[in-house]
Order: sequence, then C-alpha cells, then structure tokens
Amino acid sequence: MDTSKRRFLKGCGGAIAGVSVYSMTRQPLARDAAEESEVKYAMLHDENLCIGCNACEDACREVNQVPIGVSRVDIVRTGPFGEYPEQSYRFSRHSCQHCEAAPCVKVCPTGAAYIDKETGIVAVNEDRCVGCQYCIAACPYQIRFINPVTKVADKCDFCQQSQLTRGLQPACVLACPTEALVFGNLKDPNSALVKTLKSKPTYRQKVDLGTRPKLFHVRTVDGEIVL
Amino acid sequence: MSAFHFDGLVWHWPIAIYLFLAGLSAGAVFFAIMLKHFKLAERAYLSPFVQAAALIAPIAVCAGLGILVIDLTKPLAFWKILVFYNTSSVMSMGVLVLLVYQLVLFAWIGSVFSLPVNKWLDGRFYLLTKCLTLLARHEDIITGVLVILSLSLGAYTGFLLSALIGFPLLNNPVLPLLFLISGLSSGAAATLLGGVLMRGNPNGIEVKFIHRIEIPMILVEIMLLFTFFAGLILSGGQSQVAALNAIGEGFWGWIFWGGVVGVGLTLPLAFNLWMKVSSDRKFTYVAVTASFSLLGVLLLRNFILYTGQMTGV
Repeated sequence: MDTSKRRFLKGCGGAIAGVSVYSMTRQPLARDAAEESEVKYAMLHDENLCIGCNACEDACREVNQVPIGVSRVDIVRTGPFGEYPEQSYRFSRHSCQHCEAAPCVKVCPTGAAYIDKETGIVAVNEDRCVGCQYCIAACPYQIRFINPVTKVADKCDFCQQSQLTRGLQPACVLACPTEALVFGNLKDPNSALVKTLKSKPTYRQKVDLGTRPKLFHVRTVDGEIVL
Repeated sequence: MSAFHFDGLVWHWPIAIYLFLAGLSAGAVFFAIMLKHFKLAERAYLSPFVQAAALIAPIAVCAGLGILVIDLTKPLAFWKILVFYNTSSVMSMGVLVLLVYQLVLFAWIGSVFSLPVNKWLDGRFYLLTKCLTLLARHEDIITGVLVILSLSLGAYTGFLLSALIGFPLLNNPVLPLLFLISGLSSGAAATLLGGVLMRGNPNGIEVKFIHRIEIPMILVEIMLLFTFFAGLILSGGQSQVAALNAIGEGFWGWIFWGGVVGVGLTLPLAFNLWMKVSSDRKFTYVAVTASFSLLGVLLLRNFILYTGQMTGV
C-alpha cells in the first residue's frame, strides 16, 4: 500500500512539475511588437445626430442576409421625454461592441468566436461553431443570437465579409442619412473616427467588466438623468 | 416576468439536468471509491451499493452528455468540440475532463469487478481477461486519478456558469464549491437509493458510512448557500438585486425555500439525525431521504440556472 501511494504521489508531482515547466516555456515574454497590425477598427454612434429612422437596421439586414426575427443591429428607442410639443426620444445603438477582451471569444470551446488579428474585429468562424450558445450567455451586452437559417451564433462583424473586403464602409454607416455613425481605424490619427473621438465626449457600455469595447457612443442631450 | 421565459434567457432546463447528472456521476464514483477504500476493500464488488454506483456513474454521465449534444443547435457537429480546443474556455477544458473521466471511470469499474468478471468468463475471451487483470494490477493509480477527476468534474459544473461575467449571481466564486458539494451529496443519495433498490441492506455498514459523511456535508452545503447569498447581498448593486430577485417572492423563491432548503436540505438532515439515534435504518427511511436529497439538488441546479440568467449587470 505504502509503495503504491508513494508511486502515485510521485506521478502526481511529476505531472504538476511538467505542466508548470511547460506553461513557463510558453510565457510570451518577448512578444514581437512588429506583429501588431496597423489596423484596429472601431465605431462611434452619435446619439445626437441619430433620428431613429432604422435605415441602418434595414441596410444591415439586406447586405448581410440577416433573417427576419433576429438582427445584428438594433436602434433602441426610449422616451418620449418632455412635454408636447417639445418632445424628444433617445436612440441608442445595440450591437456587437467588438471588445478587445471579448468574453465570447474567451468562452468559445472550439475557437469559432475569434478576434481577427489584422483588424481587431470580433468575428465568427461558421464552420467551427457547434451552437452550444456559451457565447450568447457570456456576452454582457446580449447582442449574440442563433441565426435561424445557419444555426450558427451570429452577430455584427463590421461587415467584414460583405463590405470591408470590397473596400467599402459597413452597410449601416453608408445607409445613415445623418452621418451619426463613424467607422474607422483607431490607429490612424487622421481618420474621421479618431478626430471625432478627440473632439466629442464619448462613453462605452459596461467598461467596468474589463471588456474594453470598441463601440463608442456620444451621449444624447435629450432624455432624462438616471441615477 | 414568467419563470421559464424571460429576456436574456439563453440556457434552459436541459442544461440544468446535464449539470445535475454530471455532478451526480462524479459524486457516485467518489462515494463508491470511499466505500471501497475505507470499509469494503477486496469485497467491494459484492456490495450492492458499489454495484449501484458503478451502474449509475457511467449511465448518468453519458445521459447528461447526450442531453447536452441534443441541446446544441448543430447536434451533428458535436465532434468539433472534441477536435478543437480553447484553453481559455471553461467548457473546452470541461470536455477534456469529461473525456478522460469517462475513460478512467470505465477502467476503474473494470479493475474493481475484474475478479467476478474473470471468474464468469472462465478462460473465454483471453484478451479481455488479460486486460482486466492488467487494470486490476494498476487499480491504485486508476483510483487516485479518478478521485481527482471526479472532484474536477463536480467543480467544473459550477465553473461553467461562474465564467459568465454578465450575470452577478452566476459570476460568483462560491458557485463551483456549492455545485461540487451538492453534486457529491446527490451522488451519495443516488448510491444509497440504487443500493437499497438492488436489495442492499439498509442497515449495513455502507449506509452507516455514507450517512456519517452526509450530515457534515449537508451542514457545509447550508453554509455555502448562506455565504453565496450573503456575499451577493453584501456586494450591493446588481448583485444584491439578483440575489433578492432569486430568493424573494415569486415562483423561484418558493422553489428555493420550499424545494432546495426545505425538501433538499432540512428534511434529509432531520432524517439523517433521526436515523443516527434510532437503532436501525429501514428501507423506506433510506429511500425517502435519498430521494429528497436528489430532488433538492435537481431543483438547486434549475434554480441557479434560471435565476442566474434573470438579472444581468
């Protein structure tokens, strides 16, 4: 009994030592800075310019073939605020935030949810997805859904496949009649996005969760103060 | 707001049943190993309780995985989860644990029952006999690894939910411990129930041994449940809202106080204490206590899964 116990403990000790040495060798101590891509896409939604026309929703549905009943982008309307005739609504964009530390990517068991290293876009590899819905539960912004046609976890990918590959801006940005949506490269100081970000006060949702989202909002002057 | 359908609900009751079955399997194996190690030694294969555990553990874990696969939106693509791994995903690591657990579980069953099976084979199937003898020779290592794997599996069911950072009730460090302990007690209950149903002696050393562990385990479970909700309430903010939504008035409040606390913990504790002082245990006592424990743990899994998804950050 004693020898077998010793043998077992030795084995366990060996396994633990092996695992710890192995993980140490993988430590990314000297990460290649040159490998960092020059492109990191982000989006800004100016709630003051948005008029709630839903053109972005329709354009997205058409370009990305999003089935009826689900959507990649929603404009959530709250209000009305104030007394007639001085009434106003508040419009906020509800879509993928393209987090730098994306919870959906962290929990995906097969790597179907991934961050595109070239662009920083949080994307979905349809072939890898098995539909466990762990990503849908993990997303604190609750923007993921199962596509009823493909049965794959779906969401906004900044039109990565449909528009960006053709050198076009995302469909929602092009459709917006008031230019409330600004899309661009965060690493390019001359981009319209960076200039807008530097000239207007913006907020991002649920930053305290450490997700580092890349969807910025300009808060509307309408609406009420919520404590 | 309806109890079973509300905004933000992603995972439904099949997941709760899977979590229940995985914990139950781990618990049954754990107690069968403890029974063999501390009480029965070489005669373990003769005990109806060990036999019951050896049946329940593989059936429960396979049934749980079956439910899980059917619940995928692409059930036929389930093999991809076995091919592709993501080290930062709790589910992916859990799949790995489940795979190894099942292998070692069958190896352990083979080693424990090698003697009667080889006797029954009586020289037929030479290769199988040789395999079983080999397993029996390495039983100590198999047992040690299986103890670690069963505890990992029990805790994994909790980590799976506690990785969801958007829900304060689930994203809670006490949850894996709570699920581990309640999983072990459901395994103990299943072993007892299966054992007495397979004509095991309700007053035998196995029942006495498991009951002696069960009383402190129920007490620990009550303490963990208290810490779980006290911690949430003291955290304030949405954590407090989530906790009060869950255990306050309403359908799930009733399930918690009546089902989890009442039927699942208080009654089994009272019955166990009563059985400890009364001289002998009867079939009905053991069976009813075990059934109550099992029901309580099943309700706890559903309660945590549904109320957890009710309140986001």
